[in-house]
Amino acid sequence: MNRFIRYIQRYKGWFGGAAAICLLVGLYTGLLVSPPDYYQGEVVRIMYVHVPLAHTSLLAYSILFGGSIWFLWKRDPLVDNMCQAASSITALFTGLALVTGSIWAKPTWNTWWTWDPRLVSFAVLLLILAGYMMLRRLVDDPDKQGIYAAVLAIVGGVDLPIIKFSVEWWRTLHQPMSISTRGISISDDLLLPLTFMSLGCWLLFAYMLMVRTQMLYLIELLQAKKGRLLSQTHFSQSAQ
Amino acid sequence: MPFLKTIQWVVWKDLVCELRSRETISSMLFFALIVILVFSFSFSMDQDAARQLIAGIIWVAFAFTGIIGLGKSFSSELQNDCLEALQVSPIPKGAVYLGKVLANFLFILSVEILLFPLFILFFNLDVVAELGLLLLVFFLATLGLSSVGTLFSALTVQIRAREVMLPVLLLPLAVPVMIAAVEATRGILNGDPYSFYSQWIQLLVVFDIIFTVVSFWLFELILDS
Amino acid sequence: MIAIQATNLSKAYGFYRIFEDLSFDILAGECFALFGPNGAGKTTLLRILATLQQPSGGHFSIFGQNGVKEKELVRQSLMVIAHGSHLYEELTGFENLQFALALRGQTIDVKSLKHALDRVGIGAFADLKVRQYSAGMKKRLALAKVVIVKPKLLLLDEPYNALDEAGVTMTNLIIRQTLESEGAVLMTTHDHDKASQVATGGGILQSGKLQLITREQLT
Repeated sequence: MNRFIRYIQRYKGWFGGAAAICLLVGLYTGLLVSPPDYYQGEVVRIMYVHVPLAHTSLLAYSILFGGSIWFLWKRDPLVDNMCQAASSITALFTGLALVTGSIWAKPTWNTWWTWDPRLVSFAVLLLILAGYMMLRRLVDDPDKQGIYAAVLAIVGGVDLPIIKFSVEWWRTLHQPMSISTRGISISDDLLLPLTFMSLGCWLLFAYMLMVRTQMLYLIELLQAKKGRLLSQTHFSQSAQ
Repeated sequence: MPFLKTIQWVVWKDLVCELRSRETISSMLFFALIVILVFSFSFSMDQDAARQLIAGIIWVAFAFTGIIGLGKSFSSELQNDCLEALQVSPIPKGAVYLGKVLANFLFILSVEILLFPLFILFFNLDVVAELGLLLLVFFLATLGLSSVGTLFSALTVQIRAREVMLPVLLLPLAVPVMIAAVEATRGILNGDPYSFYSQWIQLLVVFDIIFTVVSFWLFELILDS
Repeated sequence: MIAIQATNLSKAYGFYRIFEDLSFDILAGECFALFGPNGAGKTTLLRILATLQQPSGGHFSIFGQNGVKEKELVRQSLMVIAHGSHLYEELTGFENLQFALALRGQTIDVKSLKHALDRVGIGAFADLKVRQYSAGMKKRLALAKVVIVKPKLLLLDEPYNALDEAGVTMTNLIIRQTLESEGAVLMTTHDHDKASQVATGGGILQSGKLQLITREQLT
């Protein structure tokens, strides 16, 4: 079996455990210890989930981006498995970041959706990821699947900062961003749970990525074994 | 320069085929006309409302019309396996890419220039003072759409559900082009001073350069892997 | 001189294996006829040798150049005529020929183009759109490319399909000329009789294995 898969098998438990501890500490300090915000009250606590999720989805996309370049360079099928795994997990984190952002927007801005640059960029990112996952299912030639997907991930990664800038300019032009700073000054009380939650989310992403990569690798291995068996029977039958 | 020669031949081939069959341009024109009609039914506008909305309407029509042209660009290569011939020829694939971008750019831009007077007519707009600047915006935005669009046209033509997947993949990536084109067009049609919308024109230039270069390098992987 | 040297070539689509560990040599001046039942992977093998697809394993070289790593060089010396005719329906036969040569980086004068079209018997239709050509005429137009390019390696996928008697004779004539100028030909076919007129050797691809046959066994 592949060397990296053995490493994953050996160490993934540590990542999972560390993620669980960090998230528990973060949730405890965030929900129970830290004081409510002066302006927003208890509502501010959703920040401890929303901000780490948003950070993690950007980090996750950069891993997908880097992995895609690496795959095009080295053509290692395991890296392709990792990219495929990263895409769906990134989509999950991005989707959750959007949903929590939307929930947070309702009490603070009194609307579920606003054309805030960050929300719009995340929505576009989610669309790109949805396209990526659809694309993977629609390529018939398995050799080309990884390459096409990597091309899309790279173009998307280059585009993402440009999308962010353009949406930001567009908003400032039409409506000054008075509420965009959200009126929160980061104090030490907030910093502690935020750090733990961010760390927890990153570790959780790493853990999920490992499990999913391993799974995709093993599925392919199984299919290859099944295929060898199938073609052996096919070959011996038609030889008779 | 064999590289420039190849670009020239690819453009020549697409132009000659198009001039004889008129398939792409006529379907683009017809589609765009319907879009204009539907828009004018959906918003019964006075001139002030039209001024506000027209830039968006123009670019929605242009983007979808452009996607029709971009899709045809490579699906026409499927007949008789011509795509295979492009792949197996010893010429650099980047030349094929640039030739295709140029041909698509010419098709889309000519349709846009044909359509624009109709927009003026149907939505009762004043004739624009800064026609040169407006053409520059059309030019830059169309180049941006064609540079990414040609790459994804070559990609989607080799997968299932290609007609659906081209817009699904292309439109999110084209968000900056669309925003910049709409804002710049709105500024010009409103008669705003140049400094109000110069940033959008700069954004279009940056987008065009980045994505022509990126797609140029990635195209070989799409056509020949 | 070895035209094609294949070592342990194998191809799988995902988990479905088509053939495994094919090794064979084809020398310059040889015409290799590839037989085999439908679905055995004849066309796939031909497409791999034509650099249209990547092998899943093994490697091959064409006139000493690596077929996977030096694709661009290999493509200079080979020419493939596959199921699709590689023709644009809206262009005339003459223009198609011009464009096909331009894609190979060649510009040829009008006279020798016309001459090539005459040689394959469609000179009279040079200025007719390919849309109006019959299947046989399209095959002949593809052969006209071979006449001009004179490739060192010619790969033919079912060359005798849709051709009349005269077309078959002409195909075989062009194959012989390629062989005489120290080129090599590989074709897939089901037609023993027509292939055996020109083939110098061959093989049967079946059950993922290639069984070589000599010239004597062919006839």
